[in-house]
This record gives sequence, C-alpha cells and structure tokens, in this order.
Amino acid sequence: MAIELDPLHQFKIDRLIPLHIGNVDVSYTNAAFLMTLSVVLITALIVLGTRKHALVPGRWQSLAEMSYEFVANMVETNVGHGGREFFPFVFTLFMFILFANLLGLIPYSYTVTSQIVVTFALAAVVFIGVTIIGIVRHGFHFLRLFVPQGVPAVLLLLLVPIELLSYCIRPFTLSIRLFANMLAGHTMLAIFAGFAASIGLLGIFPLGITILLIALELLVAALQAYVFAILTCLYLSDAINLH
Amino acid sequence: MSENRPPDPLARLGEEIDKAQAKRVRSQPAVSDRSALQQGMGAGLRIGIELVVAIVVATGLGWAIDRWFGTRPWGMIVLFFLGVAAGMLNVYRAVTGISGPVGYRSGGTAAADSKSRWDDEDC
Repeated sequence: MAIELDPLHQFKIDRLIPLHIGNVDVSYTNAAFLMTLSVVLITALIVLGTRKHALVPGRWQSLAEMSYEFVANMVETNVGHGGREFFPFVFTLFMFILFANLLGLIPYSYTVTSQIVVTFALAAVVFIGVTIIGIVRHGFHFLRLFVPQGVPAVLLLLLVPIELLSYCIRPFTLSIRLFANMLAGHTMLAIFAGFAASIGLLGIFPLGITILLIALELLVAALQAYVFAILTCLYLSDAINLH
Repeated sequence: MSENRPPDPLARLGEEIDKAQAKRVRSQPAVSDRSALQQGMGAGLRIGIELVVAIVVATGLGWAIDRWFGTRPWGMIVLFFLGVAAGMLNVYRAVTGISGPVGYRSGGTAAADSKSRWDDEDC
C-alpha cells in the first residue's frame, strides 16, 4: 500500500550492489541496472537480429533494419550527406533513450531517463561534441554562428548576447524536455494506478484511465527519443553546414 | 544483401513486393498524414519547454553572476530580459522553421527556402 500512496517512490535509487572506492559511492544501482539492461537488449537486437543476413528479413531482422533505416533517413534529411559519419552516434543515442523509456514503462522497473542527471549528461555530450565538431571544422569562423547577417552594428551589441544565450541554453532544454516528460508521465501513471488500487470497486474508472495513460506514455516514450535524436541532428547540421 | 543467387525467384519476389506496395499506397494514402502528425507532435512537444527553460536558466545564470561579482540586482535583471528574448527567438524559430544563425529547421523545402533567404548570403 505504501507504494500506491507514494507516486514518487518509483524514482528512488536503490543500491543493488553497494560499492565504494575511497569516498566515492560507485554502487551498482537499479538505475545502472536498467541502463545495462537497455544496452544489452539493444546489442542483442542488432547483433542477433542481423545474424542471419537473410535477404528476406524475418521479424527481428526487419525490426533491426527498420530502426537503422529510420535513423539513417533522419540523419540524411536533417544533416545532409556530411552527416553520415555521425550516424553511429545518433543511432546509439536514439536507441538508448528509446529502450530506457520503454523499459521504464514495465511495472516495477525503473525509468533511467526520469533522472535529470542522466538526461543532462546525454545532452551535455551532444552540446560539447557539437561545439567541438564545429570548431574543428570551421575554426574561428564557427563564431559567425552567433552573428546574424545584415544587421546594423549597434543591434549586434544586443543580438550577439541573445544568440549566445540561446545557443548555451540548448543542453538545458534538451535535457529538461526528456526528463520532465518522463517524470510527469510516470508520476501521473502512479497516481491513477494508486486510485485504482485504493478505492475498491469504483477503481475501475481510474484503471481505465491508467490503460489510456499507458498508451499515451508509449507514444511519449517513442516521441521523446525521436525529438532528442532529431534535435541532435539539427544541432549537428548547424555545426557542419555553417553558412 | 548477397546478390549471388539466380535472379529469377528474386525478381518474382521483387515484383510481388512492388505490387503489394503499390496496392497499399493506393488503398491508404494516410501514411504521409500520419508522419506529418507525428512530426507536428514532436515539434509541439519540443517548443513547449523552450521558453520556460530559457527564462529560468538565464535568470539563474544572472543570479550566479551577481553572487560571484557582487553586482546584486543587475546581472539578474539584464539576463532575465535576455533570457526572455532568447526563449522567444527559439520558439519563433521552432515554429516558423526559419533557421537563424543559431536555429532550428523542421526540414522540408519551406525551411530550406527560408534558410537560404535568411542567412546564406555569404557562404
């Protein structure tokens, strides 16, 4: 009963294997377990799915091929041909977030992406990586990204800080979007499921809502992974196809 | 994709797949509608947070600057307004698909057009 009345209990991190190195707590937690699980499942899907190299794909192989083609198309249309070399990164990111989101929907499991540490780490990797790629590709010319064209010099004093700020805000919007969606969705699910368990026979109404919410959450899980990946593509495109 | 088999059964299979696909495209033209809806939902979900986060992060940054440099109200005030501007800029770009110097592009030809109009003057 305690779980049902406490919708935030699901976000608690438990130490499965307590582990300390010096003063640093490096315990293997349930969050770490779910991350490991999603990586293992993704690897299994891709490696085992494409093992047979069948010309006419079976179920698993076509699942693997579909996810490959989906991300490949996304990179191709949003970054252009120069983005091919970043496909592995975008694909890894997309699959990891997708699997973390979907595995989190299983009752009693744990949603890794509902922790802002995780999403912010992912977003920071994207942000720092894209910035470094831009600087390596274009050198100081990369800073033109912050200078709008055809603007009077006086306005530049105002516009450059705004552009700079809107660039630096990217990792925050990227991470908070994913984190907030997951946190809100799962909290809502837990609240309605708690109603269903605690008000007896009438609980059939919140149960129905819970079922609908699960469907919505499935959509959100896929959509947020898609949004994260496509924004990564757009940022990459900014850095690569600099005007 | 190994292509060392005799082409005959493959060619037949290819024809059958083409036929089936043609039939499906004719019978349900809603596929592009659905992907458009998906893209629209993606766009909608992502701009919702844009404005709020921009303001909050900028204001927080201003607060931190004030703490470091002891310029009490000014950093926060200035960065709050800059944050509002940056947030609105981001939302505007996400909605219109116009890619500015730091921008978003929703893909497709309209965005490419506006992009070239906007910032492709000196490549």
